[in-house]
Amino acid sequence: MGRGGPRGENTPRVAAGPIGRPLLLTAPAALWIALFTAAPFLLLIAVSFWVSGYYGTRPDFVLTNYARIFQNELYGLQLLKTLRIALVSTVLAMMLAYPVAWFISRRPPRQKTLFILVLFIPFWVNYVVRAFVWLPILGRSGAINSALMGLGVVDAPIDRLLYSEGAVIAGLVYVYTLFMTLPILLVMDRIDESVLNAARDLGATPLQLFFRVILPLSWPGALAGSVMVFLLTLSAYVTPQLLGGPSGLMFGNLIASQFLGGNNWAFGAALSCVLVLVALLLLAAAGRWIKLHRVLGGIA
Amino acid sequence: MSDRWAAIAQRTYVTMFLVALYMPLVMLVALSFNDSRIIGFPWEGFTVRWYLQVLESRPLLEAFANSLLVGAAAAAIATALAAGLGLAFRHEFRLKKLLFYAIVSPIVLPGIAGGVLLLLFFGLLGVPPKLLTTVLVAHVNWALPFAFLVLYPRLSRVDSALEDAARDLGATDLQVFTRVIWPTIWPAAAATFLFALSLSFDEFIRTIFVTGGERTIPIHFWILVIEELTPELPAMATTIVLVTVCLSALAHTFLRFSKGGANEQH
Repeated sequence: MGRGGPRGENTPRVAAGPIGRPLLLTAPAALWIALFTAAPFLLLIAVSFWVSGYYGTRPDFVLTNYARIFQNELYGLQLLKTLRIALVSTVLAMMLAYPVAWFISRRPPRQKTLFILVLFIPFWVNYVVRAFVWLPILGRSGAINSALMGLGVVDAPIDRLLYSEGAVIAGLVYVYTLFMTLPILLVMDRIDESVLNAARDLGATPLQLFFRVILPLSWPGALAGSVMVFLLTLSAYVTPQLLGGPSGLMFGNLIASQFLGGNNWAFGAALSCVLVLVALLLLAAAGRWIKLHRVLGGIA
Repeated sequence: MSDRWAAIAQRTYVTMFLVALYMPLVMLVALSFNDSRIIGFPWEGFTVRWYLQVLESRPLLEAFANSLLVGAAAAAIATALAAGLGLAFRHEFRLKKLLFYAIVSPIVLPGIAGGVLLLLFFGLLGVPPKLLTTVLVAHVNWALPFAFLVLYPRLSRVDSALEDAARDLGATDLQVFTRVIWPTIWPAAAATFLFALSLSFDEFIRTIFVTGGERTIPIHFWILVIEELTPELPAMATTIVLVTVCLSALAHTFLRFSKGGANEQH
């Protein structure tokens, strides 16, 4: 988009200065990416085959780190649990977001802008803070327990609200819904009212309207949002660390503990590679239906 | 008739959704004034003492200064790199598609892996974790793809014929940049800078792996939550929210002001 078209061919002068030369313009960023993203990424893969011990981490080529992940079922179960939490959070976020996105997409332009702003503002709040607010909601002296006790529903505070898988899912959905609502909204925005009127005129019931018209037309947005939310929840660290307790810890916490506590870098690198691989497989699968840049366009 | 009920149901649902979205934040603000040593209920009376503690806290002020410093540096670098990329992407060149995927890859790379790989990289090179080295790199890595995605559609409107014309009239490259390109792109560059600044201000998951003694705001808050759970945390959170919302509102205003025509990437 926005390229000069045929103009570019007959102007050799464009190449005269650095501003006309893509190579020079891209060089600083390309160098940055090569040095600080590509090289560390290759190193991450390499270190996953290294050995960590009391003396530090040293180069080697062994499969013991991966063998440990696949032989000890603890890690497999942890990964399965993480995938389950990510899946449930994604589905919940989608179900919650769909009606909201639809409602906003049918507003007149000025109202639409206002509603989108209203959706955005809570997400300007740092996500550590957004996860933290669930402590005084779900905790022993939190809002829910106080309300339930005040109403006489329970006599003693319920401990299981916090530090459980449910708390993690609630927190994750709260922290990441915007990434679902926004892509759905962007796609729904393009659904023409006349298409809906045509369907109604032909006698479509509201259910038919949803399943036969709205859903097929907005599906790319929902898929883009799902990929985004699933990726974010898959590598969650803050929310499970704060709200999960021992039973709600996820794969990200397992990775972090190898670096922030255990100093087992090689094993941590192998765990990270497994996580990246799962994310890439997911993207590849989703890429069969949607273009990657649509996902990225949705959040930019 | 069923249409009316559907409309009412929809409005009720959206209202509930928005209440659920804002309620926790409203509660956070309310609790920041609660005169209780426990973060929670019951309500023990109104106080501003937690705010006084927060405002007097030197570590918080230092964290704020650190966040602003690394944020400004990261945003400047990310914006400059993205501007070069954006200007180049108006043309066709070899490996353009590969470069595009390399630029945006940090967005889809799990955040925790983005932090871990820098920890390994700097750790094995023996670079000690510092604000303006390791943390800065982590923040530029994170902000660059977004800076590019925000800036590129706005730069693609800058017609390269104008540059050609200026050059035909004898302008040097520096003149082409200062007289032709910069006057056209500065609102977009400013918007991108602010957006990148707010991303950096918010960054946690990559920073936690490469942070040294100098904490940023999210790191400082996190350590207090994990280690101490002190009663002034809601007041601190509210203060942080206030600052970041102002910052983001500023970025948002600029972004709308400099709204580009094209929103999709090719």
